[in-house]
Amino acid sequence: MKTSVDMTTAEEAAGRVLLDPTGELAGTQRSRAPRPASLEGKVVGLLDIRKARGDVFLNRVEQRLTERGLTVKRYAKPTFTKPAPVDLRHEIATQCDVVIEALAD
Amino acid sequence: MHDITDLDGRGVPGVMIASTEFVDAATAQAEALGSDPARVFVPHPIQDRTDDEVVALADGALEEILRNLTGG
Amino acid sequence: MTDLPDGLIAVVKRDCPTCNLVAPVLADLASGDTKLTVYSQDDPSFPEGVTVHDDRDLEMSFALDLDTVPTLLRVAEGTEVARTVGWSRDAWRGLTGRTDLGEGLPEHRPGCGSRTQDPAIAEAHAIAALLPALRARRIGLGGEEDDVDACFARGWTDGLPVVPPTPERVARMLTGTTRRPDEIVAVVPPDLVECTVEKVAINAVMAGCSPEVLPIVLTAVEAACTDEFNIHGLLATTWFSGPLVIVNGPIARAVGMNSGVNAMGQGNRANATIGRALQLVIRNVGGGRPGEIDRATLGQPGKYTFCFAENESASPWEPLHVERGFDRTASTVTLFAAEGPRGIIDQLSRTPESLARSFAWCLRTTTHPKLPIAFDAMLVVSPEHGRVFREAGWSKARLHQELRDLLQLDGHEIVRGAGGIAEGAPEAFAETTLPKFRDGGLLIVHAGGGAGLFSAIIGGWASGAAGSETVTREVRP
Repeated sequence: MKTSVDMTTAEEAAGRVLLDPTGELAGTQRSRAPRPASLEGKVVGLLDIRKARGDVFLNRVEQRLTERGLTVKRYAKPTFTKPAPVDLRHEIATQCDVVIEALAD
Repeated sequence: MHDITDLDGRGVPGVMIASTEFVDAATAQAEALGSDPARVFVPHPIQDRTDDEVVALADGALEEILRNLTGG
Repeated sequence: MTDLPDGLIAVVKRDCPTCNLVAPVLADLASGDTKLTVYSQDDPSFPEGVTVHDDRDLEMSFALDLDTVPTLLRVAEGTEVARTVGWSRDAWRGLTGRTDLGEGLPEHRPGCGSRTQDPAIAEAHAIAALLPALRARRIGLGGEEDDVDACFARGWTDGLPVVPPTPERVARMLTGTTRRPDEIVAVVPPDLVECTVEKVAINAVMAGCSPEVLPIVLTAVEAACTDEFNIHGLLATTWFSGPLVIVNGPIARAVGMNSGVNAMGQGNRANATIGRALQLVIRNVGGGRPGEIDRATLGQPGKYTFCFAENESASPWEPLHVERGFDRTASTVTLFAAEGPRGIIDQLSRTPESLARSFAWCLRTTTHPKLPIAFDAMLVVSPEHGRVFREAGWSKARLHQELRDLLQLDGHEIVRGAGGIAEGAPEAFAETTLPKFRDGGLLIVHAGGGAGLFSAIIGGWASGAAGSETVTREVRP
């Protein structure tokens, strides 16, 4: 995260610096979606980005999670060169509670 | 990383797995997106490993993956 | 202010007939005993024949706080002792001690506006002066982040897009007030953060305010954060209400607010952004967000923004702020804990008695027809309905009294169980009469367009220590 010291006047001029409208009690980064207390009863999505060996990796993850009694759903991007298409994201968002994306190298 | 960030914005917490080769690029990507997605790194290389070796990587990373998916 | 050069200082610009007129006088002074320092605002080669300092950046002109050129000043020991503006032979002779000055020139000639008075230049200067005074934490956007999306992603919005608050925009917003950016406006619940003028300005930028409405927003924040208004309670309740801002006095017209057609609706920048800025301050500075401290069961669209000006010019009565003890010439904001408005149709009443009865029957139904006293309400009378009272000579006080009399509720009808309805007043009150509203619990204002025999009721919230008290505050620049 860039600090005030790192930001240049050029960045300010380019509208890349904003002033914080909040009471400044929290950190500056976008906060993450809250995690569930446990995965019991949750659906875990596994998203394969389609790079080499990712399928082997996720197969093992699926096996280990299933052993623990968790429900797993598998998804794959059409290509690793672009973000997942919107309908795939919709699908994951409606069907899963958490997601694991693998395997970037 | 775009996918994880997008899904996070839709209320689906996630974690991305990448090789250690990707550490610096991930930091830069995260800064560019203005976010800080959960990430777990496994030792490089990936591509030329045997199936058994990749399975071992998955086993090794599993606890850390689960830690990143739970706990509020 | 750094030391000025001793002797005489003259500030001129080529683009000024009077400055051209006095050019030979300056040449004359330059060759005299007293040191003369000349500054030119637009062209350092003017006037000819004299050593001229380039003040095209207007640094000296701003420092001297000029409104006119030419201005002639006398300086002793680094500080100004006298000045004269424009050309006046007597004044220049008196200031310089040169009794022979300006022979052959007219006696006097007025000057021209200093370039520092040019609105664009003055604003740019004000902004440049304010930028270093900004203290809010700076958030750098990622190279790929869209600035509008970034505000959504950080939870800064009310669900609609906001104007990204760059330092430049915030500095421009701050030119709308004479208050200093670091002045504390209020302590905002629930997080009880000290909210500065700067923080309000940041949220005002996001809301889409123009700088001229900032003083209204500042006063609305002050009023909302009083113990009496109880914004904290208002946020935490499951009830529908959010803060309604009503503006009275000259400032409403000055900033172009709408008090007429569609006054409570969309389309007017001042109305829309003042109410929204208040909501954003509450959300962002105070931390009051839906799903967290804001637990409203249903809420209502007025929680995006709800602000209008009372239609004072067409009103049959004194305006709200006068009724509440302020001078008619004062500008005020009044904060009321409001539901959404509901309409009253009465297209046939020609007498005030009949129209008042329509109002009363409809007012009975706020919260529940069988619930008295606890909750307040506001009646918004439209111009066509207002005319009925004007033509009959009814004052606002007269209408208040009539409504009080009409809104005495029969205990038998309203106690719990009466009418087969479990809800209602406690059974102990069966043999008594209870007023629908407590003393002071019904407010009457006048607003709306000239066509339409409709008025409106805006339900309020609970009064008393656990509820909210309507608050009026005078706007200061």
